[in-house]
Amino acid sequence: MFKAIVSASTLRDALDAVSVLVDECKIRLNEDGLAIRAVDPANVGMVDLALDVAAFESYEADGGVIGVNLARLEDIAGMANSGDLVHLELDEETRKLHIRIDGLSYTLALIDPDSIRQEPDIPDLDLPAEIVVEGNQLDRGITAADMVSDHIRLRVDEASETFHIEAEGDTDDVDLEVGREDLIDLQAGPADSLFSLDYLKDMNKAIPGDAEVTVELGEEFPVKLHYEFAEGMGNVTFMLAPRIQSD
Amino acid sequence: MTDWTETYRPSTLSAIRGNDKARDALREWAETWDDHREAVVVYGSPGVGKTSAAHALASDEGWETVELNASDQRTADVIERYAGRAAKNATLAGAANETGGRQLVIVDEADNIHGNYDRGGSSAITRLVKEADQPIVLIANDYYDMSRGLRNACQEIEFRDVAARSIVPVLRDICRRENVEFDEEALQAIAEANSGDLRSAVNDLQAAAEEDRRLTTDDVLDGDRDRSLGVFPFLDAVLKEESPEEALQSAYRVDETPDDLTKWVAENAPKVCEGEELARAYEFLANADRWLGRVRATQEYGYWRYATDNLAAGVAAARDDTKGGWTRFSRPQFWPSSDGTADEVVRRVAESAGTSMATARRELLPYLAAMTHHCKPRELTVAMAAYYDFEEDHVSFVTGSGETTNKVQSIVEDAQTLREEAMEDHSGAFGGIPAGESADGADGAEATADVETDDEATAADEATAADELAAAANGGDDADDADDGDDGQAGLTDFM
Repeated sequence: MFKAIVSASTLRDALDAVSVLVDECKIRLNEDGLAIRAVDPANVGMVDLALDVAAFESYEADGGVIGVNLARLEDIAGMANSGDLVHLELDEETRKLHIRIDGLSYTLALIDPDSIRQEPDIPDLDLPAEIVVEGNQLDRGITAADMVSDHIRLRVDEASETFHIEAEGDTDDVDLEVGREDLIDLQAGPADSLFSLDYLKDMNKAIPGDAEVTVELGEEFPVKLHYEFAEGMGNVTFMLAPRIQSD
Repeated sequence: MTDWTETYRPSTLSAIRGNDKARDALREWAETWDDHREAVVVYGSPGVGKTSAAHALASDEGWETVELNASDQRTADVIERYAGRAAKNATLAGAANETGGRQLVIVDEADNIHGNYDRGGSSAITRLVKEADQPIVLIANDYYDMSRGLRNACQEIEFRDVAARSIVPVLRDICRRENVEFDEEALQAIAEANSGDLRSAVNDLQAAAEEDRRLTTDDVLDGDRDRSLGVFPFLDAVLKEESPEEALQSAYRVDETPDDLTKWVAENAPKVCEGEELARAYEFLANADRWLGRVRATQEYGYWRYATDNLAAGVAAARDDTKGGWTRFSRPQFWPSSDGTADEVVRRVAESAGTSMATARRELLPYLAAMTHHCKPRELTVAMAAYYDFEEDHVSFVTGSGETTNKVQSIVEDAQTLREEAMEDHSGAFGGIPAGESADGADGAEATADVETDDEATAADEATAADELAAAANGGDDADDADDGDDGQAGLTDFM
């Protein structure tokens, strides 16, 4: 049983965060809210999203799992104006999701959740450095890095307590240094890892500019990016494996 | 119903049967990967365990896998997005533990990446292999179907066909685990019938034994697998050996459409039959063709059966007796051979005549060819070559004279001179107008040409003299042409 009403913008923000990594995903309809966890086909990036009951106008669910085609669902959500409310209701018998937006109703065929890629177990990582930064700063660094290279280095300088976003191209280099005064918070530690810009660019697209992004970083370890959306009622964690540094 | 080939897919390399050497080589490759960092091509016939070996290897080494299948579209973009990303990044789960986030990229059917459907896929794979930071296994049936660049960038391991004696123990083991009673002979028969192909042996076993959990020799004989028939044995069957009914059955087993089969039979019938027989055979082929025409017109593919009836049973019935011996069957000409020179000639003619290429080919080219046959008269040929800017091969194509002959070469040289003169003469007043175009008017009637050139010339007084010269030159050429060409000249102007 699943029946919910949610604002279109909240739904869109949630879907955007997931669709940067996968085309289809499993949505867990827990009693205390929606949860999505998905790993991209190359096993490199993961998204973990939770949308609390409080983010919904109304919400009833009893713990089922549905599989959806994200592109379709995004298209439908795109039909709504941002103030509109989206009504979602699961028809258990036909396994279809009925979606109503201001007189428009859409019946979405669901995907068998078993046919969707199983997410691997992700070990708990204890990452030494934690940086809290505005989405805009991150966006600036990523955009600049993209001009010169296809990978990006995230680094914390423990001595000067600065966060660096660097990229080395064939001919040109970029380095964005963010000092403590421009960071919301910094917990310095040994942290220096290289990542694919392909992924970070996509993830960055989903991160709102005014969001506070918590970056957890280690040395040649995956990075974790947390941020909240839907006025704090939803939160997203991206996790990205480092690039292999070939000598 | 679960597929036994999946259920009993080996989960570790040591369970791979029948290819011990290749198996060890694969393990060796994986264990030394850190040193050489090269991809490996695993190739061999279908069903010998290549894909199983790759997955088993990954599980032995504790690596994760990313697989790119032939069922996915494999354009450069897709390969870059999935395999490319996987090959350059550590894995999430592995990044934190001792495997260092290694994962095996498996590209199945790597020899089957097709130019068009998988646009750019082939070069993307080569790039992937060269730049990867993760081990890659490319799986192929035919090693030499892969590009040389790709082969050179990889190590290679061949998986040989699995011998019947290696297949039998596998089947026996499955029978025991599935609680199937079996005759040893039946297992032997299955293994023999699928010589080399372990996977289809397991499939046959499942087909024969799953229902009643018993396997007897009778089951095996029933479960004879359909094998497709080559087109050459089929031709032998239809044109020489088999009765109409047998020939029809054979036709069903050939992996070609009735369209192609009709062409094959039509091409080769005269090599075997003659006289009355051949006439009857062609009558049936004509019937088959008629049905194919109906298929095309109505899109009712059900009619294909009547085409097949005619081309196989009909042609077989046309024979008086069976025939022996060996015949060198030849491949039918499926499409009219496209000729680059002809196309280029037609294109140039069509362009300057302002007609479609089809019209130029059908209605203009024959006249040109007749008028300049074997480069006679020469002046007309030169004029034609100059007008259309033909090169040696084009002139030779139109006139039927040899391309390398002095005659053709001198014609092209003269034509070139003629063009240059015309060009120079015109360049004064007609700046942007090519010689051919301005000659248009002049060709039809000198008078018109004069008027035209004069009109143009008023814009640039000082060029008048040049114009007149040009007009005169044009006119002069045409006069020559007219003298030589007689009726031909009239024809030529028609399409200019």
